[in-house]
Amino acid sequence: MFRGFTTVASGMIAQQRRTELLTNNMANANTPGFKADQSTIRSFPDMLMSRLGPTQIPTEDPISGKYDSKVGAISTGVYMQETMALMSQGQLLQTDLNTDIALINGSLPVDEETGQTGAVFYRLQHPTEGEAYTRNANFTLDGAGYLTNPQGLFVLDSEGQPIQLQNDDFQVDSSGQILVDNVAVARLGVSFSSQPNTLVKQDNGLYRSVDGTDLPSAYNIDNVTFSMQQGYIEGSNVDTARTMTDMLTAYRAFEANQKVLQAYDRSMDKAVNEVGRVN
Amino acid sequence: MLRTMITATNTLSQLQSQIDIIGNNLSNTGTHGYKAKDAKFQELLYQQYNNDKLDKVERDSPTGIRYGVGAALAQTQMNWKQGSLQSTDRDLDFAFQEPKQYFNVLMPDGENGQQTAYTRQGAFYVSPMENGELMLVNGDGYPVANAGGQAITIPDGVTDFSINETGILTATYPDGTTQQRELAVSVLQKPNVMEHLSATYIAMPGNLEELGLNAEEIMTDLQGADREEIAMANGMLELSNVDTSKEMTDLMTAQRSYQFNARSITIADQMMGLINGIR
Repeated sequence: MFRGFTTVASGMIAQQRRTELLTNNMANANTPGFKADQSTIRSFPDMLMSRLGPTQIPTEDPISGKYDSKVGAISTGVYMQETMALMSQGQLLQTDLNTDIALINGSLPVDEETGQTGAVFYRLQHPTEGEAYTRNANFTLDGAGYLTNPQGLFVLDSEGQPIQLQNDDFQVDSSGQILVDNVAVARLGVSFSSQPNTLVKQDNGLYRSVDGTDLPSAYNIDNVTFSMQQGYIEGSNVDTARTMTDMLTAYRAFEANQKVLQAYDRSMDKAVNEVGRVN
Repeated sequence: MLRTMITATNTLSQLQSQIDIIGNNLSNTGTHGYKAKDAKFQELLYQQYNNDKLDKVERDSPTGIRYGVGAALAQTQMNWKQGSLQSTDRDLDFAFQEPKQYFNVLMPDGENGQQTAYTRQGAFYVSPMENGELMLVNGDGYPVANAGGQAITIPDGVTDFSINETGILTATYPDGTTQQRELAVSVLQKPNVMEHLSATYIAMPGNLEELGLNAEEIMTDLQGADREEIAMANGMLELSNVDTSKEMTDLMTAQRSYQFNARSITIADQMMGLINGIR
């Protein structure tokens, strides 16, 4: 009957999902190292519409048969297809804490096939297996002196080992060397992903690869440069003004879909209550 | 819609906690020996929705979409940086000129025993005891410990007190004789392990053994030759290290975030109204 009836409903659901995503971005506008999620809305795969009808072949004794002509493509709705983190640099915020070590992007190569810009992350040891990656540089020292993230996961050095320090009287130079009394004791581990969109985003600002394989170390990769800044954290890259605007846009799109749904409802009202009325 | 609301409310309550911490910092700007606390956010759980099973189109990110559910406070860290010194010209006002050094005071533990608490607030007094001697106490009446962990007592009739740089208290009597006492000084190595008893007192956590930690590694007592590291000043008090302009900026950011998240709830509510208004 009214094909668009479910189409507008799917439009409402898609805009609702978008609002949910934007709310989460807004909620994390103060989270260190948070990368704003972006969404793509995609049309459902097109369906081919056909017209079915009887046809008569004009012969002496007419033969009647089924007739099927293609009308064209029809889309039946939209859905939110992908959520991808925007990997741009967040602004640096001064904290004066020695265990806050912001990671600053330098030049990062663009993948020729996909057009994605690469990204660098701190390496963390995941409690189950393998490594997790993060941009949240709000680290701390645990009781045994290991450098950890707020959740307690070990921050790994360039050799993949946890970093143990006596206290937080240490310096980190811009190349990631940790110096205690001007003696280098470890180098902060940094990994490089040429396609950051393929990483899965998890709680506490963690990124992991889908198949559990570890990313290569970012040191010694050509054209990848980055630096560290101690006493600073990288803020969230959420643009609150933009998020608010997007949220209002999503709201109005939701409202427009609702209006169309009401129009369909009125058409149905006519079909049910007025078509074929005697008086 | 409800999801939007839950995401925003999760974050609202956490922002409220951040504002509480900022408020506590601001109210302690005038507290001698107070160290500012810094609260930072982290992302909450991400949930995976596999909503694209039927659409086999090529995509950048792993299958499904991932939704966050807001932000929560990750950790509060103590900023141990040195506060500025205020000259009081009072004999029994002591201040450290080096960060992380702490006086030891003997605090009742509530079970007829004593526990050692650590403070940087050096406004001390003498209190007469029943046996005619004087005891060195702090503003709350807790005895100040000597290097041996005992309360400091001296015979009555003192005309003058002074302290040298390495924390040795000298009491001078009318006949020119002197009495010397060593004040206990400890160096804090792992600030984040300590339990905060009040704005100025910190103590070892009760579950130290459970945590498998060694008290000496967290708080090192300065004894013997190590006492040369002590940098104590007489006639001065250490002000709090709260940076009011930073706290006010944080407060404004938190307040705006609070408004943004409250607005998300309003938008979600209006969207629910639209759903209700379909018919």
